[in-house]
Amino acid sequence: MYEVRFHGRGGQGAVMAAQALASAAFKEGYYAVAFPYFGAERRGAPVLAFTRMDKQKIRRKNQVYNPSFVVILDDRLIDLVNVSEGLNPSGAAVVNTRKSPEEIDLGMEIKVGVVDATSVALEVLGVPITNSAILGAFAKTTGVVSIEAVEEGIRDIFGGRIGKEAGEKNAKAARVAYDRTVVGTSRGEKKMVSKKQWLPTVQELPLGLATRSMETDAGLVGPGSFVENKTGSWRTFKPVFNRDKCVMCLLCWFYCPEGAIKRVDGGKTLEFDFDYCKGCGICAEECPTKAIEMVRD
Amino acid sequence: MINIKDLPDEELFTAGHTACPGCGVALVVRNLMKVLGKDTVVYLPANCLLVFSATYPLDAFKVPYLHLLFENSAVAAGAIRRALKRLGKEHVNVVALAGDGGTADIGMQALSGAAERNEDIIYVMVDNEAYMNTGIQRSGSTPFGAWTTTTPVGKKIMGKTEHKKDVMKIMMAHDVPYAATASPAFPADMLKKFEKAKNKEGFRFLQIYTTCPTGWRAPSEKTITLAKMAVETGIFPLLEYENGLLTVNYRPKGKYTLEEYLKIQGRFRHFTPEMVEEVKRWIDMRWKWIRTIEEGQKVVSGGE
Repeated sequence: MYEVRFHGRGGQGAVMAAQALASAAFKEGYYAVAFPYFGAERRGAPVLAFTRMDKQKIRRKNQVYNPSFVVILDDRLIDLVNVSEGLNPSGAAVVNTRKSPEEIDLGMEIKVGVVDATSVALEVLGVPITNSAILGAFAKTTGVVSIEAVEEGIRDIFGGRIGKEAGEKNAKAARVAYDRTVVGTSRGEKKMVSKKQWLPTVQELPLGLATRSMETDAGLVGPGSFVENKTGSWRTFKPVFNRDKCVMCLLCWFYCPEGAIKRVDGGKTLEFDFDYCKGCGICAEECPTKAIEMVRD
Repeated sequence: MINIKDLPDEELFTAGHTACPGCGVALVVRNLMKVLGKDTVVYLPANCLLVFSATYPLDAFKVPYLHLLFENSAVAAGAIRRALKRLGKEHVNVVALAGDGGTADIGMQALSGAAERNEDIIYVMVDNEAYMNTGIQRSGSTPFGAWTTTTPVGKKIMGKTEHKKDVMKIMMAHDVPYAATASPAFPADMLKKFEKAKNKEGFRFLQIYTTCPTGWRAPSEKTITLAKMAVETGIFPLLEYENGLLTVNYRPKGKYTLEEYLKIQGRFRHFTPEMVEEVKRWIDMRWKWIRTIEEGQKVVSGGE
């Protein structure tokens, strides 16, 4: 039995990728299931999806805990999530990255296939949605399914949901990514730790009172604690600020949904906080003097 | 009157929340909190805002917030106000931040009751025109023809077949001390309304147009452009109801056409010319009503 875990971001289509892989596996003569991890995730937040395939009927209904393969749709997730948790050492990882396999540190030395799927998606589809391209890399790295089956699976799932033409384009993206995938071995130096959960006792959390802001084993909790969650890794494009053109109208500062633009120098100029900027592009769109430009991060 | 430049630097709604890039709700709430200040208690029913800003154990609000049920926002906020009064903390602002589904549909009876009792709270309806939190289902506030997962586009029926519910009109019918609609694309007007709502007493209602790039199938950078277009095309009039009188804060100057507004959003992609005409007819009808009220007010005040 092969079990696959997809690490993606909301809106990148990890769930559709899992479904397309299941469809591809089915065409190769496997039994296959695909299912997402249900959470309240927004576009850009880390999400999970799974595919399970076997030559026999699949009776396992639980979440995948010990995957044979992990597929990482954004290499910045490696720093945020323990992506190699439970990963079978004889398996493999597939990563969307501009780095080489040797530069990827997954906390274990393991077969890894890398491809710059974001560039492939931008070239072929015109949007940075990498779910189809990464499946091409999956076929090349693991060899469990052929690229032809992956193309069929993508036509099937993508074509059915977003139109035949889009299905064809996405199949092409998978093929391009297949040809560009480089397979090697990852480094295993980093210590991967899963984030601890905060499980307070009744004494720590008095009933009927508002939670205070406090430091715990799991990090900061309570009012204002969302600052712990650095959303900067979500973006594909980032704003570049030209100070000379700025007239300090403060519209970008007002319109930033994250509050990632700060007034500094006693209100004389602005600074961008890239720890939180999600790259939505409102600031560049609304700037009356075009002092902000969005470029690929 | 408060200006963008006068807003404090401190963020009472912190960064790091997990809203989609370009979220209209996040940017409106961030600025609302700056106007209301530290002495505020927030009530959140089930909505997107709750899920992206208050996920246990993380919390983006630096002020206390309470979450109970979906349907009782206005009543729960009223109860917080009464409790604070008992504690002698009458200067604290109590604000309920509900979505359009939580206001126009599910929260309506509690809202109507609280408005009728004139509970001393600020009720904010962040109007993103569908149940976005659960995955884009139609609400009473979804506009005509819009695609949602529960109003799919087929051969016979294309999108929602009914028009948007006018909650502002319903609140005017309650004769509340203050009711207004606002759009973030008009910052001065929006901040003025925030401040007025803060300083008044009794039930105060704000309906704010908040773009949802994910649910409207629009590019994330167009959040403010869409908010501007909605006002310019007359789809979302900027109104104020105070002391029993209706004021129009901005008259559309026709800087954008309705077709431009519809074109940016994927949820209107299937529109036929007849559907565009139907929206135009609806806009004209609403503006006719607004003008009738204005004329009537002139006659009455002129006769006194």
